[in-house]
Amino acid sequence: MTVPVFAVVGHPNKGKSSIVSTLASDESVAISPVPGTTLEDREYPMVLDGETLYVLIDTPGFQRARAALEWLQAHAGSTVERADTVRRFVEQHRDDARFEAECRLLKPILDGAGILYVVDGSRPFGHEYEAEMEILRWTGQPSLALVNMIGDSDYSAEWEKALGQYFRIVRVFNAMTADFDKRVQLLLAFGQIREAWQAPLAKAVQALEAEQDQRRALAARLVAETLARMIVHTRERRLDDAAQADRLREALRTSYTQDLVAMEQQCRKDVEQVYNYKHLQRHEALVQLLDEDLFDSQTWRLFGLTRQQLIATGGVGGAAAGGVIDVATGGHSLLMGAGIGALIGSVSAWVTADRVADIRVLGQQLGGKRLRVGPMRNINFPYVVLGRALWHQRMLEGRTHACRDPLELTASPGALQVAGGAQRKRLEKLFGKLRKSEAQSPALLDSLAVEIGRLMQVTADTGTINKKSTES
Amino acid sequence: MGYNPDMTHASLLSDLIDLNSALSTDSSADLDSRKQRDRRIGQDLQTLRARPARQLHGWLQQVEIPGWQRHGQTSVQLYHLLCVLLAVAGLVSGWGLARAVLYYTGAAPINVFNAIGLLVLPQILLLVLWLVSVLPWRLPLLSSLRAALRFLHPGRLARLVAGLFPQRSRQGLEMVWDADNAVVMAPAARWLLSFWSQLFTVWFNIGVLAALFYLIAFSDLAFAWSTTLKLDDATFHRLVSWLSWPWHSLFPDAVPGRELVEASRYYRLESGSLGGGSAASPALAAQLGGWWPFLVASVVCYGLLPRLLTLLVSWFRFRHHLGQALPRLPGAPELLARMNSPLVTTAARQPEHALTATAPDDSQPWQAPANATTTCTVVCWSDMPGSRELLTPGLRALGVEPHGWLSAGGAHSIEQDRETVAKLCRGDTQGVAVVVRSWEPPLLEFLDFIQALREQCNRRQPVLVLLWGGQEGVAAHDRDAWRLTLQRLKDPDLHIEIIGDAA
Repeated sequence: MTVPVFAVVGHPNKGKSSIVSTLASDESVAISPVPGTTLEDREYPMVLDGETLYVLIDTPGFQRARAALEWLQAHAGSTVERADTVRRFVEQHRDDARFEAECRLLKPILDGAGILYVVDGSRPFGHEYEAEMEILRWTGQPSLALVNMIGDSDYSAEWEKALGQYFRIVRVFNAMTADFDKRVQLLLAFGQIREAWQAPLAKAVQALEAEQDQRRALAARLVAETLARMIVHTRERRLDDAAQADRLREALRTSYTQDLVAMEQQCRKDVEQVYNYKHLQRHEALVQLLDEDLFDSQTWRLFGLTRQQLIATGGVGGAAAGGVIDVATGGHSLLMGAGIGALIGSVSAWVTADRVADIRVLGQQLGGKRLRVGPMRNINFPYVVLGRALWHQRMLEGRTHACRDPLELTASPGALQVAGGAQRKRLEKLFGKLRKSEAQSPALLDSLAVEIGRLMQVTADTGTINKKSTES
Repeated sequence: MGYNPDMTHASLLSDLIDLNSALSTDSSADLDSRKQRDRRIGQDLQTLRARPARQLHGWLQQVEIPGWQRHGQTSVQLYHLLCVLLAVAGLVSGWGLARAVLYYTGAAPINVFNAIGLLVLPQILLLVLWLVSVLPWRLPLLSSLRAALRFLHPGRLARLVAGLFPQRSRQGLEMVWDADNAVVMAPAARWLLSFWSQLFTVWFNIGVLAALFYLIAFSDLAFAWSTTLKLDDATFHRLVSWLSWPWHSLFPDAVPGRELVEASRYYRLESGSLGGGSAASPALAAQLGGWWPFLVASVVCYGLLPRLLTLLVSWFRFRHHLGQALPRLPGAPELLARMNSPLVTTAARQPEHALTATAPDDSQPWQAPANATTTCTVVCWSDMPGSRELLTPGLRALGVEPHGWLSAGGAHSIEQDRETVAKLCRGDTQGVAVVVRSWEPPLLEFLDFIQALREQCNRRQPVLVLLWGGQEGVAAHDRDAWRLTLQRLKDPDLHIEIIGDAA
C-alpha cells in the first residue's frame, strides 16, 4: 500500500503549521507570527500500531518565489520538462542559502508528496502568490488548496476563484476552530487528489474515529471517578476538648475545600491528557462549596461506632442474652427476656460509653468526639461539578491543537440541567447510592460513566451542555 | 469486566495493591512513552484481552517503572499473618470458652443448659445476624442494624492489629479500606471483614471442639441439666430433639433420648441429687456422659459447618470483588485502553523546541525634522491597493512629502525591481518610503530589495517602511513581525512606521 505523503506548503505565516498542528493534534508544533518560524521540514506521520497510514510534512514558506520561477522559466525547454527543471533547480541550489526555503519545500514534493497549498482566506489575494502556485504546478504533483480562515474577514470567494485556476480541489478550513468531523472530512478530501491514497486515508479516518470514541469514554470515566470521590469526600479530626471545635472548624473546611479543588483540577489535567493536551493553560473559577448545605458535625465515636450505633449494639447484645432466657422458657416469658436484655444492654452502653472512650490503648484513645466536614449533601452539588466537567470536555473537544490561547472556562454555564426525565432519575439514583456507603460499588462507577458518556454525546451533538438532553 | 477464576485471592490482592502504587508512580511519566510501553505489553497479552484482571497481572509482571515500590507481596504476607493471628485468636477463644463452660470438678455435673446456651444458641443468633448483614436489600432499618453489627465482626480485630505494624508494611493493605478508594473498594472491604470474621469463628468452633474432645478423652465428664424455671422433662426433651433434628437420621446416637433427659435432671437442693433423688451410681455417671455426642453434633452443626460455609461464601465474594475492583481502580481503565487499543500517533516523533519570544526593538523610531518635511520617493510594494490620494495624507502626517511614485514586488519581475532600485538611486529625494501591506509577512525578497537599495545607491538616506493595514488597521503581531524581521538588517536608517488610511 502506498503511504500518502502530503507537503503543506505556502506563503510564510498563512497557517501551515496551524493546519499541521490541528491535523496532527500536536501542541508542540511551533506557531509564531514571525515569518520563517519553520526553518526545516518536519514530518508528522500518522502511525497505527507501527503502520504508517499517511505523513504530513510541515515546510518553510516561500521566500524568493519570483526569483525561483524566473530561474525555472529560463531553464525549461518545454512543458514536459517542467518537473525535471524543478528537480534540477533543487539539485543545483541545494547548498544555496538564497533558495534554502524553496529547496526544502520542493524536495518532498519531488519525492512524491501531494501538495497542500495553504493561504489565508481572511486576507485579500495578492499577485505575489501566483509565482508560488506556478512553481507548484510545474512539479506536476497532485494538489489541493486549503483556504485557512485566520482572521474575521472573509475573502474566501476571491481566493477560490484564483486558486481554482491552479488547483483541482479547493477547500475552506479553519485550523483554529475545525471540530473533529471537519478534520476527518479534510483527511478524506486528501484522498481525492490521488485514488491510491483513498484506502490508507479511509483506514486512518476509521482509526481516528475509534480513538475519538475512546477518548470520550475515558473522559467520562475520569469525570465519573472524580465526581464519586468528591461526593463521598469528608475531612475528620479528633477533638481533644470542646473549645477546640470552633478553631478547628474553619481549618477543616478550608482543607476540605482544597481537597475538592485539587480533585477537580487533577481531573481537568487527566482529561486534557486524554485529548493530547499536556501543557494547556486554563482559566477557570474554582469550584464553590454550596455553603449552606455543607455537612459539618461533631460526632462521638467508639470503635468507629457513633453513640447511637453503640447503644443499638448494646441493645442487640442484651436482647440476644435475654433471648436465651425466652427460649429456655419456651416462649412463656413473652419475649420479656429479650426486651429487658435490650434495655439493660442499651442503658449500659449509654452510661459507660464515655468512660470506655477515654481509655487509652497503645497511646491511642479508644474513642471520643470527632469533628467532620462533608460529605456535601446539597443535591445540586454533583450537577454543578458535572456541568463544569462537561463544559471543560466540550471546550477541549471543540478546540484544536493550533489554538495556543489559555482555555477559557470562566463562562461555564454552571449546574447541569438535564432535560430528560429518565436520565435525571438515573443520575439522581446514582448520586443517591454514592452518598450511601453500603451501596457503593465499582458497578456504580460503570453506570455513572455510561450516563456521563451519554451526556457528552448530547453535548457534542448540540454544542452546549444545557440545550437539550435525550432519552435513551 | 470479568476476572480469571484461576487467580487466587492473594494474587488478586497483591495485584490490586501493586497496581494502585504503580499507577500512582506512573502518572508523572510522559504519556506518549506510557502509551507506547503499554501498547507493546498489551500486544504481548492480547490473548487475555477478555480477562482484564489477568491482563493487568501480566502487565504488572512486565512493566518497569522507575521509583515504583511493589508492596503487594509484603501486604499479602501481612494479610496472611493477620489471618493466622485471627485463627489463633479464634482457637484460643473457643478453647477457653469451652473449658470455662465445661468446667468440671466432679462436685456437680456440667449443666447442659449452659453448654447449649453459650456454645450453640449464640452461634445460631450470630449466624442469623450475619445473614441479615449480607442481605442485598437496602431497607433503612437493616442499614442501621448492619452499621451496628459491624462492631460484632471479629474481623475488626485484624484491622486494629494491622494498625500496629509499621507504615511501610501496612500501607498497601490499608488501601483496601481507605476512604478515598471507597467507591471501588467498599464491597471488597466488606467481604474482607466478613472473611476475617468467619475465619475467626471457624477456628473458634474448632477450639470448642478441640476442648470438648480433650475433656472427653482425658476426664470423665458428667452432664446434667438444671433450671429454676418450670420446665418439665418432656419440654426439655422436645427442645433438644428440635436441636438434634438435622442429624437425627445420620447420627441417632447424638440425639438425647427421653431416658437420658429424665435421668440427667439435677436438683441442687437434695445435696446435688440426680435422677429423682437417688445417689449417682457408676452406671448413672456413664449414662450422664452420653450428652457429649449431642454437644459435639450441636457445635458442628450450628457452629462449624455453617461457619465453614459462610467462610467459603465470604472468600468467594471477597475474591469476586477484588477481581471486580482491579480493572476499575482509578487509572486502570485508561491503562487497559492503552493496552488494548491500537496505538495511534499523529504527532512529530520529537516535539518541536519552543521558540524564544523576542520583543521587537523600538530604538529607531522615525523622527521627521522639526517644522519641515522629508521628501521621499514612494515605492508601493507588491500590489498596494488604494490610490495615491488615499495614502498622501497619511504620508504627510508622518512628515513625508511624496515626490514620485514607483512600484515593486508582487507581479513585477526581479528585473523590474532592479530597475526600480536604479531609479531610486538616481532620484534626488531626501529619503525613500516603501509602503507595504502589513498582513503580508516580510519575505527575504523584500529584504533583498532594501539591501540592493542600500548597496546600489551608496548613500545614507532614511528608508521608511510604512505598514498599511487597510480598513482593519495594522495588527500588533503584524507590526512586530515586520520589526523583528527588518531588525536583521541592522540598518540605523531603516525605520518602520504605520501609515493611516485617509478613508
